[in-house]
Amino acid sequence: MLKEHPIFVRVTALLLCLLSVSFAAEPRRIRVYASQANYQVDILVRDGVDYVGITDLLEPLGRLESRVQGDKLTLVFNGAASDFQNGKRQYRTSANPRLELPSNFLLVDGRGYIPVASITQLLTRVAGLTAEFHAAARRLFVGSPQFHISAELRHDPLRLVLSFPVPVNPATQIEKGRVLLIFRREPVVGNGPDNVSYGDPFLLSTTFAELPGAAEFIANVQQPATVSVGDGGRTLTIAPQTAKPAPAASAAPSASASAQHPATAPARVRPFVILDASHGGYDTGAILSPTLQEKNVNLALARRLQKELESRGIPVVLTRVADNLLTWDQRAVSANTSHASLYVALHSSASGHGVRLYTSMIAASQPTQDKHIFLPWELAQSPYLSQSSQAATALAAQCGSDNLPARVSAAPMRPLNSVTLAAVAVEIAPLGASAAELGTAEYQQKVAESLATGIAALRAKLEAAQ
Amino acid sequence: MISRKLQFIVAALVVAILAMGFYLVHLKGNAESITAPVAQPLAPPATGPAGETTLYLASDDDDSLRPTTISSALPEDPGERGRLVLHTLIARYLQKDSTHPLGAGADVRDVYLLDSASAVVNLNAELANSHRSGIEVEQLTVFSLVLTLKSQLPQLTRVRFLVDGKSRDTLAGHIDLSNWLDVALVANAAKDMK
Repeated sequence: MLKEHPIFVRVTALLLCLLSVSFAAEPRRIRVYASQANYQVDILVRDGVDYVGITDLLEPLGRLESRVQGDKLTLVFNGAASDFQNGKRQYRTSANPRLELPSNFLLVDGRGYIPVASITQLLTRVAGLTAEFHAAARRLFVGSPQFHISAELRHDPLRLVLSFPVPVNPATQIEKGRVLLIFRREPVVGNGPDNVSYGDPFLLSTTFAELPGAAEFIANVQQPATVSVGDGGRTLTIAPQTAKPAPAASAAPSASASAQHPATAPARVRPFVILDASHGGYDTGAILSPTLQEKNVNLALARRLQKELESRGIPVVLTRVADNLLTWDQRAVSANTSHASLYVALHSSASGHGVRLYTSMIAASQPTQDKHIFLPWELAQSPYLSQSSQAATALAAQCGSDNLPARVSAAPMRPLNSVTLAAVAVEIAPLGASAAELGTAEYQQKVAESLATGIAALRAKLEAAQ
Repeated sequence: MISRKLQFIVAALVVAILAMGFYLVHLKGNAESITAPVAQPLAPPATGPAGETTLYLASDDDDSLRPTTISSALPEDPGERGRLVLHTLIARYLQKDSTHPLGAGADVRDVYLLDSASAVVNLNAELANSHRSGIEVEQLTVFSLVLTLKSQLPQLTRVRFLVDGKSRDTLAGHIDLSNWLDVALVANAAKDMK
């Protein structure tokens, strides 16, 4: 029959190929939860073994330096050295010279990869960190950041109250017969049995499950339900829709507001700054020295600046937290959908001296309240150029007062032209003659502190303008 | 037994093959010397009227662009005049004591004028591929080229860069070459670089 229909066979084969390619293209990642950062690392499959990049894994967790010499990789994490060799299971640390991985260590394009099965062992022995890995869900908890859901069915009025030790912000989906909460960024884990039966006229049962890179809580309900947020995001209340909702506390509730307000999706903490560590992946940016690539300096600086801003109470998001490549348009879209007030692209260069701040080099236009005016993608920054210039000037002034030579200029650069908020690019250059200074913690910290102080001072002005 | 006549023919053929081989190598060497990039500038032709030319010379030492006036004879054709001026500018950057060094072989291939206000500058791949990466260092090169061209073509309002005849996203990873550059905006941004 198949011989009689060769076209059918070919079309089927083609569809199967396309299907397999589309499944193969689905990236697999491990989500890492730690007090330092919440990030994802890509899984690389070699000879049927899952691997992760060791620098991708360790870099957000502390000070990391890596050196490749031939087929050997030396890592120095928070001052402790460890050595790996391509194609070998054996590795050594300063404390233990004979350690073994479950599969061979890989060195691909100057990047080291360890088997996923060795993650917890390696974090303990190389980084001195305790870790728990949920392999099926590909969730890694470093330093015990995980917490449990506490669920309690209360009456008068009837409601299910979910309590958390820290504010949460799950994706909420209300469907007929169930309420679905998906926790991606929160290290939520189960507490007791995964399925709890209530047998209540409103609430039949609840289930908790870990999915790849997330956790899912389902409340199976028999009536239409609403979800409300309380206690600054520490409680979520699932109640029958007929229940009278409590009035909202104010038009712009603060994070500490305890009054509950109805919402199908919990209120998000709006970031003030979006930090964009430029380059990444195969786009290394400038080669600053034989062992220093611009993409890595940019990411390290972004992380330091993030910490400095958060210590000043300024919410921050990063466009990338690992060594992955984003296109300019992806960076612009991330900025434009972040609802932040300031976009900062970070660059580094061996040429020049001190800090340079750049704004987009396009003609400025007047801001308009008319949301229906379309702007070309390449000129989307024009209504915000005045804010961008003010921000760049203020940051340069702060750097100057912190003894960092700084100047402001306009440059034809992407993605600045397409960002619809105040946007600046920062390029740091060494103060001395050696580009190696760019990789030092001292210099990066000095720049990060200065920029964070400048950004904190800008906050009121930029938020008012928005 | 091989006859003497046949031996003579074979020997003559071997000699002919070797001679042709040497000649081929000689021709190849000549061809390469013709197509190899010119690392040093040619002197501007003295056929046109003599006049003053302003080169905007970049310096990495203090991130500056300094106008420098030189006297030179340039052709009447605006496109060729623009090419020669940029060629002279790039030649300065190829000198050993340059304050803004470019890679060996860097040059401009052509300058096309679409009209009196729009110029397309076709750089060679050596310039772009060997260029140092960084916002400032790329900005200095691009601004220097645009302002120098503007000094020869006063009606110029926009410039587009190509590399070996093809559109390119950035010069070396930072400065955008994919769009037209507004000469007035370049001049305004360069004010702080003097």
